Amino acid sequence: MINIYLDNAATTEIDPEAIKVISFFQQLNTGNASSLHKRGVAAAKEIERARQIIAAKINASFKDLFFTSGGTESNNFAIKGIAFANREKGRHLITSKIEHPSVIATMEWLETQGFIVTYLPVDKEGFINPADVEKAINKKTILVSIMHANSEIGTIEPIQEIGMICKKRDIYFHTDACQSFTKVELNVKKQNVDIATLNAHKIHGPKGIGAIYIRKGVKIEPLLHGGGQENNLRSGTYNTGGIVGFGKAVEISNIHDSKRMSELRDYFIHNIQNVVDDVILNGAKKERLCNNINLIFKNVNGKKIFKKLNERSIFISTGSACSSAKLTPSHVLIAIGIKSQIAHEAVRISLSKWTTKEELDIVIQNIKKIIGEERNA
Amino acid sequence: MAEIKPDEKLDLTGVTCPQNVAQALLKLEIMETGSILEIIIDDGEPIQNVPPSIKVEGHKLLEQKKIGEKWILLVKKI
Repeated sequence: MINIYLDNAATTEIDPEAIKVISFFQQLNTGNASSLHKRGVAAAKEIERARQIIAAKINASFKDLFFTSGGTESNNFAIKGIAFANREKGRHLITSKIEHPSVIATMEWLETQGFIVTYLPVDKEGFINPADVEKAINKKTILVSIMHANSEIGTIEPIQEIGMICKKRDIYFHTDACQSFTKVELNVKKQNVDIATLNAHKIHGPKGIGAIYIRKGVKIEPLLHGGGQENNLRSGTYNTGGIVGFGKAVEISNIHDSKRMSELRDYFIHNIQNVVDDVILNGAKKERLCNNINLIFKNVNGKKIFKKLNERSIFISTGSACSSAKLTPSHVLIAIGIKSQIAHEAVRISLSKWTTKEELDIVIQNIKKIIGEERNA
Repeated sequence: MAEIKPDEKLDLTGVTCPQNVAQALLKLEIMETGSILEIIIDDGEPIQNVPPSIKVEGHKLLEQKKIGEKWILLVKKI
């Protein structure tokens, strides 16, 4: 029976190795990691072990990595935290038109609080031009927030160059690395990143856990106040199970999976274009996430493809997971210059480390059939 | 008395409890039995919490001295 999951940019299936450590840990009945008795310390040790693994993956010190509830919280924390801690210096922030809603909505909210935000355009492949970042910086700029890779079209942004510009101008640089983490190298020192958003459920870890890297010396206000956990930067009882599962997911991630996914991605794009006419690939041709495919099948609404594949137990997305429930076209596709009417024709197919060539062949054949039916209807 | 030379050093300044306790124990976990770890911690809560937590896990606190606002601990892995 067919059951093919190709919506891994929305979330991934949790790895059995992560389930194993979470389950083992929960059965230990450890205490609250903030308690200094033996049970509490046992929990704290496992948290610190995970912290070391995740920090090492981005070439950071364990001292600069803090756990949160996920990407949305980390993005909110990064942007609001910098805005409120540095508003005496200035009230101008820079981002792009293709960021995740948790960045764009946070920026829009800050505009209601007296901040000024520049939303940079992108080119037709979704790239932000570092020169545009430089031009947008003024004396009041306190933060530049540009994603590492786009969730909808897979474009990998030139964050190292943008980070260098920010460093020279003494402005904080934040990158949302939720989609790219463990797939594309993130080296916060080499790439001049001051703050980075990470999460677990995009990399076969559990949901409800994420992290934020904050370089030592960055002036930031906490979002959550309370018990003073995470060096007073993120209060709240530790989600110990989630943290150990996150650590395991990072530990077992490897570059070979990314390479394999790239090959499968290219195989799919090549073959679908061979068997179906008028297929357009959205996003970057080269600097693209290894698991992202975003296509427009001309004159066929993406919703119809989504629905018919869903009936066959093949799971994809139209544009992005968040956009699926809305009637408005994807803001990312609009930003790369696709007309509103055409943007509704896009579908996103996102692979995982478990995706096989055989599965993709089945999907290609099904899409071919659906497109044939729809175009002849 | 001859000065004790540590085999490894761990700077935990700026790290609060319980993270400092847990990081110290993790470091000791991977060290050879009998080797010595120098741990640097802040004054205040850390010096109240780190030494007793290390001792309760069975390791031996050989020395602790205050230098400015920091404390240096010498711990033998047992």
